[in-house]
Amino acid sequence: MESLRSLLIDSLEKYGMPFPVDKRVCSGWARDLPKGGETIIFTSCMYQVEPVVPTLSKFSSMAGVLKGLSSLAKFVKPPKEELDRAYNILNNIINALRKRGINPGYLYEEEPYSGALLLEMGLLEEFTEHAKKVSKILEEHGIKRIITVDPHTHNALTRYGEFIDFKVEVINYLELVRPEKRVDEEFTIHDSCLYSRFLNLRDKYRDMVNESGVKLKEGFLLTGKETSTCCGGPIAGLDRELSEAIAKKRAENLNKLSKRLLVMCPICYVTLSPYFKGEVKDIAEVIL
Amino acid sequence: MSWEIAINRTIQNNVPRVYDVLERHPYIKELAKELRDAKLEVLNNLERYIDQTVESVKRVGGIPHVVSSSEEGREVVAKIVGDRKKIVLGKSMVAYELGIREHLKNLGKDVWETDLGEFLIQLANEPPSHIIAPAIHMSKERAEELVRDVLGGLPPNSTHEQIVAKVREFLRDKFVNAEVGITGANAVAADTGSIILVENEGNIRFTTVSPSVHISVAGFEKIVPTLPHAMMEAMVQAAYAGLYPPTYVNLTSGPSSTGDIEMKRVSPAHGPKEFHLVLVDNGRIKASKDPELREALLCIRCGRCHLHCPVYRVLDGNWGVPPYTGPMGAMWSYMVYGDPKPAMLCTHSGGCKEVCPMKINIPRVLEKIKARWWKGSI
Repeated sequence: MESLRSLLIDSLEKYGMPFPVDKRVCSGWARDLPKGGETIIFTSCMYQVEPVVPTLSKFSSMAGVLKGLSSLAKFVKPPKEELDRAYNILNNIINALRKRGINPGYLYEEEPYSGALLLEMGLLEEFTEHAKKVSKILEEHGIKRIITVDPHTHNALTRYGEFIDFKVEVINYLELVRPEKRVDEEFTIHDSCLYSRFLNLRDKYRDMVNESGVKLKEGFLLTGKETSTCCGGPIAGLDRELSEAIAKKRAENLNKLSKRLLVMCPICYVTLSPYFKGEVKDIAEVIL
Repeated sequence: MSWEIAINRTIQNNVPRVYDVLERHPYIKELAKELRDAKLEVLNNLERYIDQTVESVKRVGGIPHVVSSSEEGREVVAKIVGDRKKIVLGKSMVAYELGIREHLKNLGKDVWETDLGEFLIQLANEPPSHIIAPAIHMSKERAEELVRDVLGGLPPNSTHEQIVAKVREFLRDKFVNAEVGITGANAVAADTGSIILVENEGNIRFTTVSPSVHISVAGFEKIVPTLPHAMMEAMVQAAYAGLYPPTYVNLTSGPSSTGDIEMKRVSPAHGPKEFHLVLVDNGRIKASKDPELREALLCIRCGRCHLHCPVYRVLDGNWGVPPYTGPMGAMWSYMVYGDPKPAMLCTHSGGCKEVCPMKINIPRVLEKIKARWWKGSI
């Protein structure tokens, strides 16, 4: 475990990410966004790099993943298909924001990591130190408002204020966009635990999903706010076996409702996909 | 596979029933809010409330004992039991925490759990897997096989009813001949020294009334300011466990007594002639002074968080240090046993905090325990 901590810290120091990935992978989706600005979109490279994790599943722990990655930092990257999907999601979000008159900037390869993994593993001292660094970067760029695109980044940044003096406004894209497509399809839904039970966004995205025309196949014991469960992703770094057992069970239960699954978190997508028998789509792919 | 079958059946049987209970009896949620405030008041002044409880127990003719550790708790209970041999237990997780059953058995006593779930785990020699349903890990088929193996006389493919009847038949004799009854307490009223015990089986009534000595073992966190608060805790606990109205609520204030001759209250009458309340610290005072852990002491042991937790569901009930399993158990494993490892497996899915009647933000408490684990300071 100690090795995991030091590997995470080393990687954050060296690459600005908990994984030693090529930052061009993170910024490759952005075409014509202004660099910086008072309002920026903040991806934390979550959609872009999350597909890497399962390809390294032969390692039994995050420490193994990191060790395996460190020597291959410039070479390991998500499969093209997955990367295209992630880039498409991010561009859909940008387009939806623009349609609402919001034109965010982007820090490209200078975009820092949120520190979500440190927070979720309970590395609170390290998270505090990381938050200070991120805050400094944002201050140097004159950033006043951040638009997040995934629940883990949103959670981490909205909690900065508990640990440091942090004045930047943090808002999630789901609070700003409206559905852009009419969708006459049926899905079941796996809620992000963070959006649904910690960040008060459950009603926001469900309203949009309903407005788009998507027919959600729900089950009281499977998709209720209090009764639905985790995808297992957040524990993968510490206990991959447990993570996979949770994911398998969750996917099997969701399959009882539908063969099409709607998610809103890159970790949920990656964790559930191997076990869900059918199609898994991100909300930003479907309604934006 | 047995676990998967058992937990799925439990969820199907229990979770909808809890929602039904809370919808039918909306006052329960109001009581839960009031109870949380009352329990916080006690936690903020715990030593004072312990002293008050001790004085109140004495006033009603009971004998209070305040113990700081499991070892001291075992010694005190063994001393009260003395030469008596036949002992019945009503399910008590604190008694399990202290290791009382095993200790008494090692002293050569004839000790029987009387709660059906706890009886099953005694037969199987397994740790409890859930705070209110200790044999939740056993499917009906497994329970049937176990009872048949140990007690005999169960026909093939016995029903739930036949299994229960078999155990009832076996335990009758134990109740009638028991010399000491040991129970926990769902709540302890500081103002009267009364304990409240909630049950459905009727075993606690037997255990608390039939033997000549009744020993109640309770953690400090079970103390509430007044008797109405204690009743409140019983009602809220039963409702959030999906067992409302509970079949029985037992109130015990000291040993049995009568006031039937000139209305002079004398003791004993038909029930126990001795009542002992063993109040247990075992890390609770320290936790009450710790702002990051104090919330955990609000737990009323309804066990609701377990069924809403993905980690508990897949770890076969083996998450936490028995008897403290599940999300609440990950907190309690740290407070009582100093073990932070269960907390490390929390995925912060948050279902536990949503359903907790005491509104304990369990993932946040576990996050703080995780941070301590990394720092290496327990």
